[in-house]
Amino acid sequence: MLIDEILGWIKLNLKDLIQIVLFPGIAFILIFAVAATWFERKYLAHSMLRIGPLHTGRVAGWLQIIADFIKLTGKEVITPRNVNVFLFNLLPVLSVCTSAIAVAFIPFSSDWIIYEGNGISLLLFFAAASLTPYITLMLGWISNNKYSIIGAMRVSYVYISAEIPAFLAAMGVAIMAGSFSLIDIVEAQSRIPFLIPQILGFIVFFIAFLAEVERVPFDIPVAEQEIVAGWRTEYSGINFGVTMMMDYIPLCTWTLLFVTLYLGGYQGPLIFASQTLSNFFWILLKFSLVIVVILLFRSVFPRLRMDQTLRLTWKYLTPAAFLNLIITAIIAYYYPDLFGLIGAS
Amino acid sequence: MIISWGPQHPISGQFRIILETDGENVLKLTPDIGFTHRGIEKILENRTFLQGIVPVERLSMLDTANFLLAYVRAVEEIAEVDVPPRAKYIRTILCEISRINSHLYALGLIAEACGGYPAIFLWTVADRELFLDVAEMLTGTRWSYSFFIPGGVRRDIPSGFKEKVLEVLDYFEGRLETYRDSWLENELFKRRARGVGELPLDKAVTLGAAGPTLRGSGFRFDTRKDEPYEAYEDLDFKLVSMEEGDSYARTMVRYLEMVESVKIIREAIENIPEGRFRVRVPMRVPEGEAYVRVETARGEVGLHMITDGSIKPYRVKINSPSLRNLYVLSRMPEFSRLLVADVPVVLWSFDPWFLDADR
Repeated sequence: MLIDEILGWIKLNLKDLIQIVLFPGIAFILIFAVAATWFERKYLAHSMLRIGPLHTGRVAGWLQIIADFIKLTGKEVITPRNVNVFLFNLLPVLSVCTSAIAVAFIPFSSDWIIYEGNGISLLLFFAAASLTPYITLMLGWISNNKYSIIGAMRVSYVYISAEIPAFLAAMGVAIMAGSFSLIDIVEAQSRIPFLIPQILGFIVFFIAFLAEVERVPFDIPVAEQEIVAGWRTEYSGINFGVTMMMDYIPLCTWTLLFVTLYLGGYQGPLIFASQTLSNFFWILLKFSLVIVVILLFRSVFPRLRMDQTLRLTWKYLTPAAFLNLIITAIIAYYYPDLFGLIGAS
Repeated sequence: MIISWGPQHPISGQFRIILETDGENVLKLTPDIGFTHRGIEKILENRTFLQGIVPVERLSMLDTANFLLAYVRAVEEIAEVDVPPRAKYIRTILCEISRINSHLYALGLIAEACGGYPAIFLWTVADRELFLDVAEMLTGTRWSYSFFIPGGVRRDIPSGFKEKVLEVLDYFEGRLETYRDSWLENELFKRRARGVGELPLDKAVTLGAAGPTLRGSGFRFDTRKDEPYEAYEDLDFKLVSMEEGDSYARTMVRYLEMVESVKIIREAIENIPEGRFRVRVPMRVPEGEAYVRVETARGEVGLHMITDGSIKPYRVKINSPSLRNLYVLSRMPEFSRLLVADVPVVLWSFDPWFLDADR
């Protein structure tokens, strides 16, 4: 009886379940975190004349990350004195969950999206993604450590200063597409990706989202050489493993948004028999290329200082994003035909 | 807020700084040394002149040859021994190899201190291997050479050494250009290092800075020019100095000194004179006193030795450059604005080696 009902429910919601559990949901994000960690280690190792993981798993050390993860689960979880034990152990898990929610609004094909968001999925993405800094701020604050509190304060500074230009740049895209729906934005790029008409917004958004995902040269909140490990200094064992995933999950969601907004998302020539599969291929290809570029920065650039980052974001990126927004709005109001030329609405 | 920055810190080394900060601004900076104190000066009193060679090298692992040279020259000065010219040239070559080793590592460390684990750190480590190989061919060991003895050097140059050195230098000159293009000209590195930890010339002199720290502030002083020892008198090289006095200038001085060191090695190995490489020095050095100055990679080291006619020195006092530079670092917040993020950059632009500061 009950089993029949459950089976019937599963059959009814099969597509949603696959989307949430497998792709682009939980499994995809976890596999991305593991694969990106492995790739980053191998890739950086070769850029540094090293070899990187080699023996575990026979082929290029692909099992090394899994082995490291198992090792972390076996380690003692040390809770510092005078902290709220419940929050201290809950917040890492919560931070991973909230930052992973944002992937639900990314379209992987015109009919493959977890939640369409009633036509405002771009706004919902920003709403979901900006939950994370609050949790990292709390993480650092409750750790009762001087390095953690400095890291937590840096998180809040960098996020606030980077999110505003990123949001303003994304608004330019929304004006061009005439919609807040990410599916509409992708469809509007069928002839030409927004990279070209929105070149200023593209540059602003790229720099700002690097700062949001704490990648080099903006890895200020976890600056190893200055404040040991920033907000995650006190975490050990599996909690540390979970906070390490915080390096990769925002990277995944923000890069997907970047690809969707500026590089045409899932658009591309038909190469498989199925349109959906072809769309998956194109978005994952663009996604991987952007990830490779971002990871390369780590072996090239030193870290910017806090005040330099704030100067960059407030004095240059935010005015540039405003300028981009104003130009786009003027063109949209007075010369709407220009958008028709490039296929946008 | 008071932060204990080290010794268990990713880049502090065997060393601690007690930082008093207001938010991210550093108000006071107190270096806390002594974690690697071994009492080398006292150890030297209980070793014969030959046995003393090994503890002296432990003053600085990266730059063993230059520190050992100070000790050996002090013994020679008291014993009034004339070292044969061939030995002087071999010593010069090994000292410059040692200097390149040290400066390469310092360049990697300043890159590491600026953050992000950039590739340049491991590039310099990989290129050091070549010089370690060269040194191994000459001395038999990679960095703790124990190669200089009172009266000369232990061994003559092996066959094929000259070709090997020239081959390494040819390769290394290309690598130096890579370092300049990829790191010293890197816009973000300039932003991190320029104007950071500025040390004005008057402060550098009055506080007693040494080596590249002093020359980075525009004071043209190098013991190799000021009081030439070994073969430096015959060799043609430039005294490197920069005017700015910031972290970038200090890094640049080290880089340009590597360029000069390559020239020195090239010239020395081409003009190496024939003859003996060692003369005999008696076990008992006569009663006397000597103060010897040698330009190490970190600056001028002064070694004061008093002997009483026995087989051991009566007293050895070492004036080390790292200690003097750390004193300058401790006074830094008085005349230069520092942020927490600048502390590793400034610290490693001074390139201290805590083993020789602690002794």
